[in-house]
Amino acid sequence: MNHMILAITIAMLFGIGTFMILRKDMIRVAIGITILSHATNLLIVSSGAFLGDKVPIITDQNAGSSSGFIFTDDLSQGILAPIVSNGAQAIYVDPLVQALTLTAIVISLATTAFLLILCYRVYQEHGTTDLSEIRRLKG
Amino acid sequence: MILMEHVPIILIALPIIFGALTIFFRSRSALQKALNIGVFSFLLLLSMVLLFHVWENGILVYEVGQWGKYGILLVADLLGAGMVVLSSLISLMAMIYATDYMDRKALDSTFFPLFNLMVAGLNGIFLTGDIFNMFVFFEVLVLSSCGLIVLTGRGDHTKMADKLEAIFKYLILNMVSIILMLVAIASLYATVGTLNMADIAVRIAFLADAQALPWHIHVIAMMFIVVFGYKAALFPLHFWLADVHPSAPAPIHAMLSGMVIKVGVYGILRVHYLMFSDALFMLQPILIFLSLITIAVGATSAIGQYDLKRLLAYSSVSQIGYVLLGVGMGTAYALTAAIVYLVNHAIAKSMLFLATGETLYHAGTKDMRKMGGFASSAPFLCTIFLIGSMSIAGLPPAGGFFAKFLLFDAGLSAQFYIPIAIALIFAIFTLFYLFRTWLTIFWGGVKSQKSGRSHTRNPTPAIKFALSMLACVVIFIGVYPEPLIVLSNTIAGQLLDPQPYITAVLERGVR
Repeated sequence: MNHMILAITIAMLFGIGTFMILRKDMIRVAIGITILSHATNLLIVSSGAFLGDKVPIITDQNAGSSSGFIFTDDLSQGILAPIVSNGAQAIYVDPLVQALTLTAIVISLATTAFLLILCYRVYQEHGTTDLSEIRRLKG
Repeated sequence: MILMEHVPIILIALPIIFGALTIFFRSRSALQKALNIGVFSFLLLLSMVLLFHVWENGILVYEVGQWGKYGILLVADLLGAGMVVLSSLISLMAMIYATDYMDRKALDSTFFPLFNLMVAGLNGIFLTGDIFNMFVFFEVLVLSSCGLIVLTGRGDHTKMADKLEAIFKYLILNMVSIILMLVAIASLYATVGTLNMADIAVRIAFLADAQALPWHIHVIAMMFIVVFGYKAALFPLHFWLADVHPSAPAPIHAMLSGMVIKVGVYGILRVHYLMFSDALFMLQPILIFLSLITIAVGATSAIGQYDLKRLLAYSSVSQIGYVLLGVGMGTAYALTAAIVYLVNHAIAKSMLFLATGETLYHAGTKDMRKMGGFASSAPFLCTIFLIGSMSIAGLPPAGGFFAKFLLFDAGLSAQFYIPIAIALIFAIFTLFYLFRTWLTIFWGGVKSQKSGRSHTRNPTPAIKFALSMLACVVIFIGVYPEPLIVLSNTIAGQLLDPQPYITAVLERGVR
């Protein structure tokens, strides 16, 4: 059930983002890009969210017993993910996807800031935010 | 020898650190110039050392933080190291050229930090062994090149409003393509559970052997084609290039057309030939078809242009089509030809763009119809432009001849008769529009009314040095192409048989 709700949410966010970047107003395009990047972040998190239910932090007393199956991936047994145990498959949530999302969020923060300043500068130079009026360059 | 291991990270870290440091020297212009040229010469030297080391001792893998294949790895194989040498050469020459070309204000404030970051992004893309890390360096490259396009130089007749419009297009389209790349990476990670490119290759091969390759691997492979095709200006995604590249000042234009669009080709060579070699049979016909349309569209659009920079930008679109044609044909010989073509086009085209910036400054306009008779007032630019045109068009003494010859020969030996026929027809178009341009600008009578002032606008020694060095390299490739062909042949062999790459990456231990 959770999978389905998350999948529908991501799909709707992608749809809204795509709709927004097809608008003629520059600010809406910028908002569309932001929504698209958030949809992507959700997609990345969702690719690892429901595999396990334990927090991927190995504390001292568990470290000895855990180190055996951390970083085990055995192609001959058809085990693909790096963090799985021998018996109980995937008891830990994949921590890597959260690190990836964090990186993607930081990058999208920087690009959004740049994009908004660029919108302001284009408005200063052209006097409009309507993209259909800003077409001095002909592709 | 222990230092040798650290060269890949130095090639990325040094420009980043120096990009931050160089801001402190902004009030001391001469020192800043000297330091930057010194650092870039050092980078060129270091990248050549790296290439020789990789040639002698095999693939060099650098672990950032000893996590084995689970961490980020920098992998310098022959393709990556070769591309780094190419980008270091072109960026050094563009930098030397820019010290005399760019406006004083732009040069002192933002040019050097952003240029350093751009080079760091390029080196990072070429050296990384991790697909997500490649995405990060794509962003570094995009944002720094956006900042560089707005700067102004002396032969730059583009208004600020036009530049901002061009950057808006460039940034929005790049963001969309990069979001698509992220979606593809996330889907790939959800399927195979790793981000290391060599590891992904092993797992996809394992799934394919077990007849259990999920169908969406093909979709992911096509998404990567869209992303890299956008970078390389492949046909349905080529429209932004003719707006964005001519808006940039000449040194940045040379970097964008010389190196940044080659990133797309590198991406296809690296990602598809390493990871998706089981899905390639479906992609190769698509690549051949689209690259032929790219060649045709680029060449026919270039013929109708009177804006010199825009003409050359469309010529870039057409030429990148030839490179991708070689990549699409996919035999060892065709890949060799594609890499030779890529190297030659990168050097000759960036030389042509640098010469163009100086020609536009000399002319005082960017409309070709108002130029004429510059052969007497600017004989040096005339020679450089001729060498560049000959190389791009594929005439014998310059490097382009061997590139085109190898590509067509490879196509014929792999029995792609119709694609080669189409490519040959548009090669004649290339010859036509480049030499028409050269004749219009440098021969004929003097047309400009303001020519009394323009005679004094001659290239400075730094600009002459950068242009003649690149011209020497172009001629050298043309007269003695043997080392380049041998190198490209080895690279093509490694691309088709990635086992050494995979072994070098996966034999790492975990801390």
